[in-house]
Amino acid sequence: MHIRAVAMILLAAAFALPGCKFVKTADQARNAAANAFDPDKAVADIWDSKVVPYLETRGAPIKDVLALAAIDVDGAGQKYGYKAKQGNAPWTFIAKVDGVVVAEETKSRAAYVDVDVDGDAKADVRVSIGPAIRGTALRDSLDFIDFNSFKNQIEWAQFGKSFNTRVNDTLLSKLPRENLTGKKVQALGAYPLPASGQLPQLVPATITIGG
Amino acid sequence: MKLTRRLTLAAFAATLALGTAMPAFAADLIAIITPSHDNPFFKAEAVGAEAKAKELGYEALVLVHDDDANKQSQLIDTAIGRGAKAIILDNAGADASVAAVQKAKDAGIPSFLIDREINASGVAVSQIVSNNYQGAQLGAEEFVKLMGEKGNYVELVGKESDTNAGIRSKGYHDVIDEYPDLKMVAQQSANWSQTEAYSKMETILQANPDIQGVIAGNDTMAMGAIAALQAAGKKDVIVVGFDGSNDVRDSIKSGGIKATVLQPAYAQAQMAVQQAHDYITSGKKPAEEKQLMDCVLINADNAGKLETFALAQ
Repeated sequence: MHIRAVAMILLAAAFALPGCKFVKTADQARNAAANAFDPDKAVADIWDSKVVPYLETRGAPIKDVLALAAIDVDGAGQKYGYKAKQGNAPWTFIAKVDGVVVAEETKSRAAYVDVDVDGDAKADVRVSIGPAIRGTALRDSLDFIDFNSFKNQIEWAQFGKSFNTRVNDTLLSKLPRENLTGKKVQALGAYPLPASGQLPQLVPATITIGG
Repeated sequence: MKLTRRLTLAAFAATLALGTAMPAFAADLIAIITPSHDNPFFKAEAVGAEAKAKELGYEALVLVHDDDANKQSQLIDTAIGRGAKAIILDNAGADASVAAVQKAKDAGIPSFLIDREINASGVAVSQIVSNNYQGAQLGAEEFVKLMGEKGNYVELVGKESDTNAGIRSKGYHDVIDEYPDLKMVAQQSANWSQTEAYSKMETILQANPDIQGVIAGNDTMAMGAIAALQAAGKKDVIVVGFDGSNDVRDSIKSGGIKATVLQPAYAQAQMAVQQAHDYITSGKKPAEEKQLMDCVLINADNAGKLETFALAQ
């Protein structure tokens, strides 16, 4: 009886807790921290020192990547790509493209060039040239970046988007936009494992079109 | 300090109060706590988790918090009181839930979060969430294509306390805002609710009769929106949702809603129970706490393969 009475009193005390106040303060602190996160700066801070060197070190000719991925996706992923340890994200591959534009789509905001790398005049890879860039392939290719070190999906997404913004502002917005077919392309970038039968869609970190 | 102590005492008291009334259990217990099963998405989670728990020899305690953080806190007390070995939780708010999960941890009960994340790491053992940003981008790309890269549209946003509402909206806008000829004429929260989406859509239509598209943060709101549009005689407005419910699947097949994005709710819940089982039996944690599950675009091409938040191969 005695224990029960004490329990009742404690339960009553628990319901009377000023819980809202406690949470609210925490909310404010977190909101302040969220406002402090600057994804553009976070990308700028690592772009030249870590991102580009990493892609240059790991990027193989896309012919090799595609050939191995066609017979052994996981083997190709381990050799030429990256994916998070948990979850079900597909491999993101890192590759170098050196070829000729065989088709172009520049009317859509999500513009691209289709590139032949093996001389058969057929497209082997679709390279995004912006301004709209789909996905977060550049972020997802980096083995030194982890979702777990971000506060939540929102910051993780902002960070991913900032890679695309940077590439677009510093690189893609300066590319020629007309009569690209027949021109030579050299690019280094990343693409997620494409659906079967579809071209890989590479987001470039470096690119030149011309000649 | 004081608060922590009072919480601990309250938990202790709850244990005593409930412990005296409950018989001993033969099998170990896993508590499965989600929002209301009125939304089939949450029901699929609970069913998936319960099936996996039973398969692994556990008893399942299925509870709903109705998106009420106070109720969630009481349910966590119940789980602690009944001596649950693990809690599978789709939580009631990214900030408000941190203390509840911490309370379970302090009582020695590991939590495995599904669907929604909390704004803290190291408190839950796992946070298995859909890659909402990736999914929202898929939905938005399909929406942009269906709209022909132009037109007036409305966005229905989810519940503000849920990070998923914000992240999906961001994913939508990171794609749609790249197209200057797509103009958002209204953006309102309908709190994930079908009835609220219906009434909000009715009001929006009065002020903006000239709309060509609606993009909704989840399927129940998409269902509310399409009902309001059809009631107003607007049959050609493009509606896109998010979740992959059977209701929206059927709407897609009959030419109503145009697309949605499947979150693997059933598989996600089962994965959480498996990780709980591994943790209970061997103390083994997953390699990463926060785990993203990619989403899949559903439209007329593959809607026929969708059943209860899973896509047939």
